[in-house]
Amino acid sequence: MKAAVGDVLVIDGHHVGERTRRGEVVEVRGADGAPPYIVRWDDSERTTLLFPGPDCIVHHRDDDAP
Amino acid sequence: MKITELALRPPVVVACDATIADAAALMADAGVGALIVVDGDRPVGIVTDRDIVTRGVAQGRSPDGRIDGLMSMGLIALDHDAEMEDLVHVFDHHAVRRVPVVDHDRVVGVIALDDLLVALSKDLGDITKVLAAQIMFPHAADEPPAPARR
Repeated sequence: MKAAVGDVLVIDGHHVGERTRRGEVVEVRGADGAPPYIVRWDDSERTTLLFPGPDCIVHHRDDDAP
Repeated sequence: MKITELALRPPVVVACDATIADAAALMADAGVGALIVVDGDRPVGIVTDRDIVTRGVAQGRSPDGRIDGLMSMGLIALDHDAEMEDLVHVFDHHAVRRVPVVDHDRVVGVIALDDLLVALSKDLGDITKVLAAQIMFPHAADEPPAPARR
């Protein structure tokens, strides 16, 4: 898995009532875009360190460019 | 207060391709209820004894199945120099009961919600003693009244 600063990570809930989580990568700790990442979640002003699992989808910032 | 002032439990890790039976045996040997699942050196999830029961045994999975099929994917972790406030925030916002603690991206420990509760209950106990003393001797800490001036 590779990500860059500004990319958005999306993790779908797996259980009833569990919401989809979305956060922006603000720092890449691994080498060459590899995890872990410091992520600022949409529903929180704070950042956390994330080791993403295989359910984590990366929306690259450049993909949204015109 | 830093989170490392709490009693960190040493992490017990299991490879993502280990069998469910091996993971259960590891939990029994290590006396823990949760394992960090790693792919090589990289943490990719966490699996608990409850996961083995509810996602494994109850669903009729073979003990020879891979443990990563039962794990909760991804890990929200904290750096070892994080503050207690950060820990409370993670428990509050991410619906987890265990938080891995990392030092230079290597997992060095795990803090369970129970650990936080125990630490806070000790602080609450200290506060309770102060409160009890103030209730029993309400004026003990008061300054003596100044002499009246004429």
